Amino acid sequence: MFRGALWLLAGRGYVGRGLSTRSGGSTPDWTEKVSEIKKKIQSALPGGPWDPLYDTSHLPPEHSDVVIVGGGVLGLSVAYWLKRLEKPRGAIKVLVVDRDHTYSQASTGLSVGGIRQQFSLPENIQLSLFSVDFLRNINEYLAVVDDPPLDVQFNPSGYLLLASEKGAAIMESNVKVQRQEGAKVCLMSPEQLQNKFPWINTDGVALASYGLEGEGWFDPWCLLQGLRRKIQSLGVLFCQGEVTRFITSSSRMQTSSGKEMTLKRIHEVHVKMDHSLEYQPVECALVINAAGAWSGQVAELAGIGKGPPGTLEGTKLPVEPRKRYVYFWHCPEGPGLETPFMADTSGAYFRREGLGHNYLGGCSPTEEEEPDPGNLEVDHDFFQDKVWPHLAHRVPAFQSLKVRSAWAGYYDYNTFDQNGVVGPHPLVVNMYFATGFSGHGLQQAPAVGRAVAEMVLEGQFQTINLSSLLFSRFYLGEKVEERNII
Amino acid sequence: MLKIIIPTTMLIPLTWLSKSNMLWINSTIYSLMISMTCLPLMNQFCDNSLNMSLLFFSDSLSTPLLMLTTWLLPLMIIASQYHMAKEPLARKKLYITMMILLQVFLIMTFSATELIMFYILFEATLVPTLIMITRWGGQTERLNAGIYFLFYTLAGSLPLLVALIYTQTTLGSLNLLLAQYWIEPSTPVWSDSLLWLAYMLAFMVKMPLYGLHLWLPKAHVEAPIAGSMVLAAILLKLGGYGMLRITLMLSPTANFMAYPFLMLSLWGMVMTSSICLRQTDLKSLIAYSSVSHMALVIMAILIQSPWSFMGATALMIAHGLTSSLLFCLANSNYERTHSRTMILARGLQMILPLMAAWWLLASLTNLALPPSINLIGELFVTASMFSWSNFSIILLGINIVITALYTLYMLIMTQRGKYTYHVHNIKPSFTRENTLMSLHLTPLLLLMISPKIILGTMY
Repeated sequence: MFRGALWLLAGRGYVGRGLSTRSGGSTPDWTEKVSEIKKKIQSALPGGPWDPLYDTSHLPPEHSDVVIVGGGVLGLSVAYWLKRLEKPRGAIKVLVVDRDHTYSQASTGLSVGGIRQQFSLPENIQLSLFSVDFLRNINEYLAVVDDPPLDVQFNPSGYLLLASEKGAAIMESNVKVQRQEGAKVCLMSPEQLQNKFPWINTDGVALASYGLEGEGWFDPWCLLQGLRRKIQSLGVLFCQGEVTRFITSSSRMQTSSGKEMTLKRIHEVHVKMDHSLEYQPVECALVINAAGAWSGQVAELAGIGKGPPGTLEGTKLPVEPRKRYVYFWHCPEGPGLETPFMADTSGAYFRREGLGHNYLGGCSPTEEEEPDPGNLEVDHDFFQDKVWPHLAHRVPAFQSLKVRSAWAGYYDYNTFDQNGVVGPHPLVVNMYFATGFSGHGLQQAPAVGRAVAEMVLEGQFQTINLSSLLFSRFYLGEKVEERNII
Repeated sequence: MLKIIIPTTMLIPLTWLSKSNMLWINSTIYSLMISMTCLPLMNQFCDNSLNMSLLFFSDSLSTPLLMLTTWLLPLMIIASQYHMAKEPLARKKLYITMMILLQVFLIMTFSATELIMFYILFEATLVPTLIMITRWGGQTERLNAGIYFLFYTLAGSLPLLVALIYTQTTLGSLNLLLAQYWIEPSTPVWSDSLLWLAYMLAFMVKMPLYGLHLWLPKAHVEAPIAGSMVLAAILLKLGGYGMLRITLMLSPTANFMAYPFLMLSLWGMVMTSSICLRQTDLKSLIAYSSVSHMALVIMAILIQSPWSFMGATALMIAHGLTSSLLFCLANSNYERTHSRTMILARGLQMILPLMAAWWLLASLTNLALPPSINLIGELFVTASMFSWSNFSIILLGINIVITALYTLYMLIMTQRGKYTYHVHNIKPSFTRENTLMSLHLTPLLLLMISPKIILGTMY
């Protein structure tokens, strides 16, 4: 190496002597030679290259008041409401961390996008009612100066749920609760059903409930991008990275009955960058777990569930990913514009997509048929065997259809009672949950975001009381289940 | 004075040679003992000064500031113990060394007779502070904060060097004790105003004056706790001390130069108090309140009346202790919740009642509740400002009200109300923290009994 350098220097001297004739061409050579010499010296010296002022623009900040793990619609909704409900403007620094900025596996983008108030739990109905109001007035909530208004393409075509003889009583009581909460739902007999929707085969249907107002479907991407744009304008920082570690500290405290508990506090979040070992410790006051299908793993990182089973320390967050298929088909004789989002007695569902006789639909598999959530590969045989027969039975026009495409997405499935988890964890004091909605997270996202923001800022739920959806129900064993119509 | 400077310098080998488990104990105890050696200086028996040597002297203006400086070092060391716990041993020792070095420079600054020595040490205090802010500060913004801090002060003090050298060549000596007898008002020349500006600008930036205060919120917020404490308590007072000394030499030829800065201070005092009402970051609120209090001191020094000088000196000492106490309280919050935002940690009175008592006392002294020395300072300044110009009472009155407003806002926001869910498992107050707060409050409360020792040269 030194020989090479000497040769270069000798050559330099040779050039230097003839400077008057060679002045034009020597300058670019000089910088190249310098960088070459530098590289040679660096490769000969021990140790790696030392660059103290390297670029850190891709890293999240070293400090953030709130870190939201998960950048899907629930996480962004929490961020939006935190920024909107904080009393002095610009008080809280929020950081949204998402592993995948293309949202390729996120449940939000792969969702069918339906919204309904036809639940049996009053909390769910109230959440959906507010979300519909949010969607209807989305440009008042999410308007950004100088940007075009959002078109969330809300098709208010309603949900049509069908019940057989066995489920008719449950459906009636559900509709009563829904009406009490303020949802506009009507019950239809098979004859009324046949009159209104002549393309239905009412064989086996005893009762149907049809949402008259505030139900339908919308474009989840538009909501996501609208939220993203708005919260960026409000000053929320986005970072692409994976949360790999929480630095926590524990303290043993006694409850008023004398029982000893270990309470934990998260101090730092380690965010690891994609395709590298580089990570940034983000110092934070609060962590919001909105990681969707992977919330269970994030909760385990914080030590939730590490303890003897049956105790509060040992209660895991029972959210796991479950794969669901969505199929897209074309049927030229299919039902027309007034088609609601129909859910059959067998569990198969479909909705109209666009104006060209295209439909989206699928079916929830039974427990035994659960597909492996390791990847998002689609099983086309599932459509052939499980979905199509029921669809064809209910809507005779669907006997001839052509599947155009299909995809799969994850439910953040709450294995305990298939309803969401909202609010703080009793032991890891500064982790809040907004996850586990098992398929109806997208439609309740605006209201859930507001509830979590109220919990963070005020300490209690102000508008919608979601205290039955807190984490402690997993330990106490109080299931908050939807009464499904079989 | 050597009996103070040499032990302080010897604290550095003490730090480096201590064992790791005795490090904090040694440095705290010995620096407390050094602050005790400063006490005999308080025995100021004549209107003139105690001259210890050709280089060092102390009179009734510099003695309270010296006491404050030496008192603050053990407090800084106590406050830094928690956040330095995880650092490697050599870095801990380096941090304490920075604090001790700063202390040495500050002691020499306050007791210097030669103005050039004062200037050199004035600049020298910037270096350890800069290292503390940029190396051990919290966020990435600390680099920006350090640059603002360094260059504002340097740019302001360069004219001071020129003016000092010019005075040295014309006058023959810059000894402070002689200068007060040698200066005679000569025929006014237009360059008198330039000389006035050159002298005063450095101290205006340091105080800081309202228009030149941009570095202060940044530096205070991004600095680690010891940095914030020393910045708020002492480094700001360097500016006040310098101005008090220099006005003897500058008046009365260029007194008209004071008017723009008086206006800026009057207006800036109300402005920065109002900004405090809108702050969401706790440390930022305390930093802006420092600017507001120091604006009072600037005004008092510029109108040059005996009462205002007494008020300025009293206010400097009182504000030093109060501001440092508030920063320590804010830091105890930050260490627990890792966030400086006020609304995320509320209702702490229920969880940490003793700390709430310290918060209450600190807030009461900050809003100048009688009979604290803060009130004495503010009252003297207000009275002398009123006699200088009747209309200033309007702005001063508005400022006193707004000061009370934002201090109570800070108290109620952090202590009262229902606590947020996620603070209910914070660690209880350490004895170390309670010691720190009480060591701040004890001089503050004891001085109420005999405030004449902090009233400065005019008493």
